[in-house]
Amino acid sequence: MATATAHVVTGAAELDPLARRRVPVAVGALAVVAVVGLGAERLLSPALLNVGVTLFAYVALAEAWNILGGLSGQMSLGVGAFVGTGAYSMALAMNHLGWSWLPGLLVASAAAGVLSAVLAVPLLRLHGDYFAVGTLAAGLALEAWVNNWGFAGGSSGISIAVGAVPTLGTLYSIGLVVAFLAVAVTVVLRWSIFGLRLLALRESELGAELLGVDVVRYRLLVLVLSGMLTGLAGGLFALTQINFVPSDMFGMTWTIEALVMVIIGGMGSVLGPVVGALAIYYGISTELATYPTLSLFLEGGLLLAIVRFFPEGLWPFAVRRLRALAAPARAARRLSGVAARR
Amino acid sequence: MNATTILNGLLMGGLYALVALGLSLVFGVLRLINLAHGVLVVGASYGALELTQLVHLGPFAALPVVVVVAACFGYGLQRLVLTNLLLKGTEAGIVGTFGLAVLGEAAFASGFTSNGQSLSSSLATASIRIGGTTLEAVLVVATAVAVALTAVLALGISRTRAGSVLRAAASDPATAELMGIDVRQVFAVAVALAAALAAVAGVLYGVASSFTPTSDTSLLLIAVAVVVVGGVGNLTGTLVAGLAVGLVQALSVGLFGGGYSDFTVYLLFFLVLVVRPTGLLGRGAL
Repeated sequence: MATATAHVVTGAAELDPLARRRVPVAVGALAVVAVVGLGAERLLSPALLNVGVTLFAYVALAEAWNILGGLSGQMSLGVGAFVGTGAYSMALAMNHLGWSWLPGLLVASAAAGVLSAVLAVPLLRLHGDYFAVGTLAAGLALEAWVNNWGFAGGSSGISIAVGAVPTLGTLYSIGLVVAFLAVAVTVVLRWSIFGLRLLALRESELGAELLGVDVVRYRLLVLVLSGMLTGLAGGLFALTQINFVPSDMFGMTWTIEALVMVIIGGMGSVLGPVVGALAIYYGISTELATYPTLSLFLEGGLLLAIVRFFPEGLWPFAVRRLRALAAPARAARRLSGVAARR
Repeated sequence: MNATTILNGLLMGGLYALVALGLSLVFGVLRLINLAHGVLVVGASYGALELTQLVHLGPFAALPVVVVVAACFGYGLQRLVLTNLLLKGTEAGIVGTFGLAVLGEAAFASGFTSNGQSLSSSLATASIRIGGTTLEAVLVVATAVAVALTAVLALGISRTRAGSVLRAAASDPATAELMGIDVRQVFAVAVALAAALAAVAGVLYGVASSFTPTSDTSLLLIAVAVVVVGGVGNLTGTLVAGLAVGLVQALSVGLFGGGYSDFTVYLLFFLVLVVRPTGLLGRGAL
């Protein structure tokens, strides 16, 4: 188990508790990027705004999966359960209670969080591939149930009242805030004591428990947090799609996409899922939008090829190569410093 | 609900046991939930469909061909792909076999339509009348095949030299290797055997009901549920659990209607995992 992901944590800086000092800097930098992105809204064409919204939602989706699968080692194959719960709870709240999109999104996140907490009762008893299959079953069970749920439209689906859907510019800004939130949460988790404990329990649950980590509590917290972020992404997807049927929102596509984005970008790293979302969304989803089967082929093939030949992922690989390039220069500087002192 | 419904549910369970048999074998030997198992089963259904359409063979005449091809595929899969993934740990195994399942679905969707298809055979519509009940002939055949294959496999594993080699490789690969057993070869043969069993199940499933490119996921989950209920590595347990799952599903359809038939299986799966993760019938020989 350890070997698959061990190299992700081998960088000494990443296990250094002082890395916590980086958190304010990193979140600040993210906030600057987000503010610049918000300012750019006026300059972008409708087509670009549209691309932006979907991309932001995918970034949130991928980071949510990364928190659960990459940091705590709980590989979920039931992403659709949380996307669907977010999308449906939001659509129902907007249609039946007349709520606007902001409380709608909060409901989406809360409902998916509650679902995580409920599913945690059976899921936290499962580990490794049992956990993966358990989440797969939960997703399919929920889809089967919603297909039979007349109040939510059953298999013919549901549509959000067009008047309640925000304009494209607003959607873009919402998306940017959601994506910022997802990445910021990952930064805070990854470089905190909480995150270190998650990494510990990923490498060895028994080992972490023996070191005093309350394994069940940590797994529950990260499950709920990931579920809430996924539900938020689901709400965003619902706002962009407006009309959808249960298989659109509860289906396996979300799991496949989240997984391939995180795996290609670098599981367990902070920016890997962002890189992965960019690569997959531009490389596959938009290019091959009219060939769904071909993109399915590519995604399946990528999953297999990456774990087989390139398990590290793009982002950690790039960081490692850059550090290696910088290393001789740094060593030279250090040497010259020593010489000067003498 | 009458005796016919209940008995046919039980026989459907025989088919489920057949679907789960290969998964049970791989799970017992390699300690891996092969998420591509459903794809192997549906792949055999599509393979037989292709043969019936191209060469005008009946599904059962196509069966030996499909089984041999599946076994070769399984062997190559283990040697070339799965061994390396398993050495990397559970996570790589999950992602890799899931990727395989996605690839399989894509292949079926591109090679065939996404509409439901089934293998035409006179057996599909035949029925057997016993007492006051009408049994579906194909399910009777499937259950008989499941019982026969389980018996052969269980006896082979517990009584033959090859079986003891398999058990040794499963229980402690490192020591087995020291005793001169080629563990990689044994694992590859086990996966080939599992793929062959999946192919038998796939052809019978294709005759008994219609299948689509995405049928594999629900078949996989039913198979996992059956394996978990029966106990990991316990092949006889798999057979009994298959019958039980079929029976429970038939009862739920009788009580709540057909829309919830899959839902019941998933619920059962969760209940068993929560109450008794080691399976209702305990660990087996593997």
